[in-house]
Amino acid sequence: MAAEREQMTEQTAQPEPNDDLLLRVRGLKTEFVTRRGTIKAVRDVSLDVHRAEKVGIVGESGCGKSALALSILGLISSPGRVVAGEVWLNGRELASLSDREMQVVRGRNVSLIFQDPMTSLDPVMTIGSQITESILKHQRGISRRAARDRAIELLRDVEVPLAERRIDDFPHQLSGGMRQRVMIAIALANDPDLLIADEPTTALDVTTQAQVIDVLERLVEERNAAVILITHNLGVVAEFCDTVKVMYAGRIVEEATTDVLFRAPTHPYTEALLHSVPDPKRLARGPLPTIPGAPPSLADLPPGCSFEPRCPLGQGVEVCLEQAPFPIEVGSPGSIVVSECHFAQDRWAEAHNPTEGVQSHE
Amino acid sequence: MVRVIVNKVTSSIATIFGASVVAFVLLRVLPGDPARLIAGSLASDEAIAGVRRQLGLDQPLHVQYIRYITDFFTGDWGFSFSSGVPVKEILGSRFPATAELALYAFLFAFLSALVLALLATYREWPVVDGVVRALSSFGLGTPPFWFAILALIVFFEQFGLLPGPSGRLSSATTPPPLLTGFYTIDALVAGQFDILGEAIKHLILPVVSLGLVPFAFLVRLLRANLLEISSEPFIVVVRSKGIGRWLTHVRHALPNAFLPTLTASGLILAELLTGSVLVERIFTWPGVGALVVDSIKRQDFAVVQTFILLSASLYILVNLVVDILYGVIDPRTRIPTTEAR
Amino acid sequence: MSESQSASSVLSGLRGDPSEALLWVNGLSKEFQLKRPGVWRQELQILRAVDGVSFDIRRGETFGLVGESGCGKSTAARCILRLLQPTAGAVHFDGMDLGTLGLEEMRRFRRRMQIVFQDPYASLDPRMTVLQIVEEPLLVHGVQDRAARLEKAQEMLSLVGITPDQADRKPHAFSGGQRQRIGIARALILNPELVVLDEPVSALDVSIQAQVLNLLGSIQERLDLTYLFIVHDLILAEYFCDRLAVLYLGAVMEMADRETLFQEPLHPYTVTLLSAVPIPDPSSQGRRNRIILEGEVDALSVQAGGCRFRSRCPVGKDRDVCRVEEPPLVEQAPGHWVSCHFPGELRPGGES
Repeated sequence: MAAEREQMTEQTAQPEPNDDLLLRVRGLKTEFVTRRGTIKAVRDVSLDVHRAEKVGIVGESGCGKSALALSILGLISSPGRVVAGEVWLNGRELASLSDREMQVVRGRNVSLIFQDPMTSLDPVMTIGSQITESILKHQRGISRRAARDRAIELLRDVEVPLAERRIDDFPHQLSGGMRQRVMIAIALANDPDLLIADEPTTALDVTTQAQVIDVLERLVEERNAAVILITHNLGVVAEFCDTVKVMYAGRIVEEATTDVLFRAPTHPYTEALLHSVPDPKRLARGPLPTIPGAPPSLADLPPGCSFEPRCPLGQGVEVCLEQAPFPIEVGSPGSIVVSECHFAQDRWAEAHNPTEGVQSHE
Repeated sequence: MVRVIVNKVTSSIATIFGASVVAFVLLRVLPGDPARLIAGSLASDEAIAGVRRQLGLDQPLHVQYIRYITDFFTGDWGFSFSSGVPVKEILGSRFPATAELALYAFLFAFLSALVLALLATYREWPVVDGVVRALSSFGLGTPPFWFAILALIVFFEQFGLLPGPSGRLSSATTPPPLLTGFYTIDALVAGQFDILGEAIKHLILPVVSLGLVPFAFLVRLLRANLLEISSEPFIVVVRSKGIGRWLTHVRHALPNAFLPTLTASGLILAELLTGSVLVERIFTWPGVGALVVDSIKRQDFAVVQTFILLSASLYILVNLVVDILYGVIDPRTRIPTTEAR
Repeated sequence: MSESQSASSVLSGLRGDPSEALLWVNGLSKEFQLKRPGVWRQELQILRAVDGVSFDIRRGETFGLVGESGCGKSTAARCILRLLQPTAGAVHFDGMDLGTLGLEEMRRFRRRMQIVFQDPYASLDPRMTVLQIVEEPLLVHGVQDRAARLEKAQEMLSLVGITPDQADRKPHAFSGGQRQRIGIARALILNPELVVLDEPVSALDVSIQAQVLNLLGSIQERLDLTYLFIVHDLILAEYFCDRLAVLYLGAVMEMADRETLFQEPLHPYTVTLLSAVPIPDPSSQGRRNRIILEGEVDALSVQAGGCRFRSRCPVGKDRDVCRVEEPPLVEQAPGHWVSCHFPGELRPGGES
């Protein structure tokens, strides 16, 4: 069964021509062994990221999205372990590399931006040294002077005012928005091909968030870098990302381009998620549609579809209870959705050719 | 920063005064009469009164106190009641022995704690971690004097590997020419390498005995802090830059984890410097600890008062240095957060 | 979230009779003294977290205090509840000036106004069972009969969806959303009239937010509650509140009912704030029309005189009157109050 599913994953996720493909993840599995049991944080995840593509990974807490990011970078530490899978970056397989070998990749080809800017910087080092640390590590032969100049330049790129002075400041002297920009500067110091941003704006005010996203987008486009943006904020995803992957209980349950996903989600979880955010244009006032229950414990997953207990469509349905769904490709060329739902095909059909008496999912 | 130092110095001086009052009162509250002890049990009342006058103990209390304070700060520490030798000389002759022992014990405890805590927390090595934790528990639960005696039995008596409780050098050896009072340094400077070797050998057991408890305490503290810091988000961020594990651990985790250890280290050093009676006795170490205990028994106010004030000053000095070092290591204490969040 | 109070919300009522409103706040200020190390002395710097805030809340309505971090909304709420002592200003609850009350009288008033806190993980005592947590307010306010307390506590817990068999467990056994509901039960057990909701759903996942908000909505009419809703998420604010006040650096920039504020914002800050909100709709034009502010909120930068938003304001940055004179809070239209010299000049879309 698992083997079949893997085969299906291989077949259904055919990307465009390979030289455009930057990152290819296949069958990634990450587990954490704790007293409460084995937590399967990432369960057989496969995804592709193309050059300069902006991919959004959406999900709520506990769905495994942060674990996914760390797994790609090989930064999962005990009691966690990547137990299976391949990660291909620019044609080079990463999961089998030693930590030493991965050190050359991290900060150079792939960089990470973390969620909470208040705890993401070393409190006892100046922000300048934290930027130059990355530069000195990866740019062999560069002088300290040159590295420092480059750091100042980076601070200017991320719009930190008075960069030449602030470079010697300590993190606690900067506000949250500023610190996040320093994080971006660190991440972009060596012109990476791929930037993974894990909830980069969640801890920020909305106006600061707008500033940071603005800066990020400009720099990413200037440098032609790809981005994996992990967030639960659907608004940010809608505005920033080209394609979206929805994660639930350790798996990617739906993926499509942003337009298609927001317009016609096929997976019930995606739909419920989209509906639970109040949208002034969409809703009359009244109770918000909610998803009953709570996400399943990743240590104790049901045998069938992991969303079944909360699914308005599949709850109690035999096939959903017994069989975990395969990823299925639905839709027409130009608007392809890959979805893990037994009813994906039907829902797509209904959305695009509404039968009488049935509302289309708009 | 300057303001911080000024503040600390001011409060330190206040503390010293407080200590002096306590010392003064306590000594005079003790039962017994030093004048009588010195004059002897058979002495006449006149003789005792005479001694009392000589010692200045017939003056009203507040006069005695003022004399005590002014004399201390002018360096006139008087004469020992029992031996008549100037207090300065007595303390001065015994202090270097204690200081040498204390400093090496401190270095031993501190460096071992540093290295072992780093190793225990670097990777998931349950064996290493287990050993370190066992050592720590052992150290914390073991009285230094018990360990000292045990060590002597094993290393001196049984295996003859190390010298016995004969003090800093064997009785036949003359000490090196006096420079600092530290036999190790003086011997090194004078080029007397055989004496240096002997001094070191005599130091090994007392240093380990004395340093065992501080080591256990420090390694436990540092290990706990390192573990806590290692799970902070910024450590992952450092790793995501491609920095290796050991470098991340030493360059980023250690400075952050180190700070609470600094305070503890200061206290430990100060305590060690004020002498350890039991260990000094066991190894016949000519230090200050034994001297002070004897002086208390003999109600030798002069020695004890001075010693108390000196110890208090030492503690305060060490703490002052620790505070300043805090400012050096942790920028958050010296540069206030200027921007509101 | 009550139905059409639109007729009565159009009536101003702000500077009207304090006894008409359930909560009437006038000129509320709270100063904090910060010690800044100087060279030889400690310099004192005054931080005005709340600087002359005035608004009123009518019975049964949901009033929103909206703003970003550092705007003073949480501090204001705590001053209203007397969890902090205000430095200046008056707070009238049901016609009664709270500043004139002694400790014991204040205590009795506290029954009528309760608060639900933001952090569901920090606001429940981890050593008490959930039942004990919810019954505690009754105990504090002198209900001696244990059986009566427990019964009431169970009732409250059921109301928020916690079953009796769960009531003997400790907080750590519950999820964030459940804990927040326990906090709500605790706030409601004394039958308060006013409930302050301090960012009640910010720490929760999106789908759980909806559950908790629905709960709050459904019990409001049933229990005859008035809500003061403190929030930074504008989408939620728009969804949940009848009337809102937008705060910036401790003062009210704009205040109006829901439709007016979101459809016709007059203050440049409000306009910017609204434009900054990312819309979960790829086809929206919001992105193109976004106004990006320069600089940051700096609570210590409030200048004496002049508008506190001036340094970042696209409209007033270079204008003398904005630099010199702090704009008063003026009723531009019935029920619509704005503190700006050039209200309405900045339009959504960035055109001025």
